[in-house]
Amino acid sequence: MLKLFTYSSYVRTPEDVKAIVKHAKLDERQLTQVTQALYYPSAHVVSDNLKLLELDEHMLQQIRNGQTLHFKGGLHEKVVLCTDERTYDVKGAEISNSLLLVPDLKFAAATSTSPLKSPRTGNANTSLERSLNDSADDDLEVPRTLEQRQVLTIFHEYFECREIRPRYRKLGELLQLTRYSGPENEYCIERKHLFSFQQLLNTVQCSRAQFVDGLQQFRAIEFDGHIRILDYEYEYRIISLMLGLISENSWALDEVEREETIYALQGIAPEPVVAGLFDIYTVPSDRCPDKFKYQESLVARIVAQNILQPGLRFRSDEFMTTWQEALPEGMSCKIEYLRGLGILDKEGAQPSIRSLAEEHLPSNIIDRMRVLFKTKRKWTLDEMEPYIDCFTTPALSVSTLLAKHARSLTEGGTRYFVSKH
Amino acid sequence: MPIIVKTHSAGSGEWAIIELQGDLEVRSNQSMHGQFIGDLYYNKYGQPILIIGHHILQGREQKLEKPFAVLEKSKTNEGRQLLNTTDATLDASTMNTTEGPERTLLDETVALEHKSRQRTEYTVRAICTKKLIFKARPKPIIANVAKTV
Repeated sequence: MLKLFTYSSYVRTPEDVKAIVKHAKLDERQLTQVTQALYYPSAHVVSDNLKLLELDEHMLQQIRNGQTLHFKGGLHEKVVLCTDERTYDVKGAEISNSLLLVPDLKFAAATSTSPLKSPRTGNANTSLERSLNDSADDDLEVPRTLEQRQVLTIFHEYFECREIRPRYRKLGELLQLTRYSGPENEYCIERKHLFSFQQLLNTVQCSRAQFVDGLQQFRAIEFDGHIRILDYEYEYRIISLMLGLISENSWALDEVEREETIYALQGIAPEPVVAGLFDIYTVPSDRCPDKFKYQESLVARIVAQNILQPGLRFRSDEFMTTWQEALPEGMSCKIEYLRGLGILDKEGAQPSIRSLAEEHLPSNIIDRMRVLFKTKRKWTLDEMEPYIDCFTTPALSVSTLLAKHARSLTEGGTRYFVSKH
Repeated sequence: MPIIVKTHSAGSGEWAIIELQGDLEVRSNQSMHGQFIGDLYYNKYGQPILIIGHHILQGREQKLEKPFAVLEKSKTNEGRQLLNTTDATLDASTMNTTEGPERTLLDETVALEHKSRQRTEYTVRAICTKKLIFKARPKPIIANVAKTV
């Protein structure tokens, strides 16, 4: 290791500078006018509370805009750093070089009264020597100024950030504790497991924007100051009643009325539940102002979920018929709506649809792979994607993850993934 | 509980980083506090030159591909204020912490985690976008040193 020795404490004087410039055989005329003398931090500086955090473009922008960042992580979680929109994994990186942090240090341009010359090509050392060509305009003596600079601290470590996907699992687990299934069942709910928006946001390892997205994905509703998700059967029942209004009122699919829907369900379900579900399940109608239409994918999913209870399997044609019949007229079921709920298994004598809920699978990728390959021997990439997607990062795609955790083989021109062991 | 990292919309200052290969060490066990390290010069081409003791280092000014934020812990977990313990010449107005009452924050995932008070806070003190890097081996200054510098 390179060791550099320094001299005992004193304050640098212009005479010292002049002397050292001479000893070092530097041509003063080739130097800019400012010398900056560097000192170690003084004894009263507490520097162990300083950290270096490496930033990407987005984080830099957020800081420049005065946005607050948050470190998040519970006792047994790896800490993440969140901006308002993104989530990052944070990792300490040790380096053998020394990084001296110097506030107010002047860079070259600020030390010169005239513009800097463009660097010469070739050996940088030559720029130190006095060049005959340059000598003419340097004859005017400009007084040298000496400025004292204190190094604030010396780092051998900094923190690296890597953007990751929001970690929603805890949100799901917390909401799972208190599924709402009507006012008559509220006595079963443990009050201390009810959480407000802010409480959940504080603990879930994702940014605020991602948190709002996550609530939408979980179809969470805020009422009585708490964020709740609904019991599937209860949700199905309320949605069925809401969908029933379409034929009852002879609405077209994109003529659904919000006020009317909420009014019609009065006394059946609390208004915030109905209004919340309505806002999650519908989008504004393109054709009629102030009217809405239900999103086919969401409706089809809750219906499928009601048929495809955990552990069940159906002949695929029977399942599709039942599913289709349960949907309001004009909506159609599509196999992709089952994403993360169930899988199509073509290996048996007859193709079947079986329940495989993503949310019930292990949160560790190795355990999850084991369960997946136990459920079904070989998978295509598209089939696995919904179950592996949550492990991906901007730098780590589903294919990369599968390459690591599974074995691929090609049968009849189709690429399949099978267990590694 | 999230640990807040405060920023200042007015824009944090720009600080510099000087990167040296290896470590700076002082002779024997002397305390390093406040000791002189060396002189920094630039030549007319903007190349930084650092003279430390009898060594001269030539480096270069470099834009950091990924800039650094300097985070300062502005409150400990016990809620003790840590500000202004650093260099007194730094602008105190950028370290305003007196907003709102002392926060006593509970970890709200009561069911899953301990109740814990978490009051640590960080403040972005500055951004570093450029550094002076001295990668080359230091060269000795060979001179007839009549008197010590």
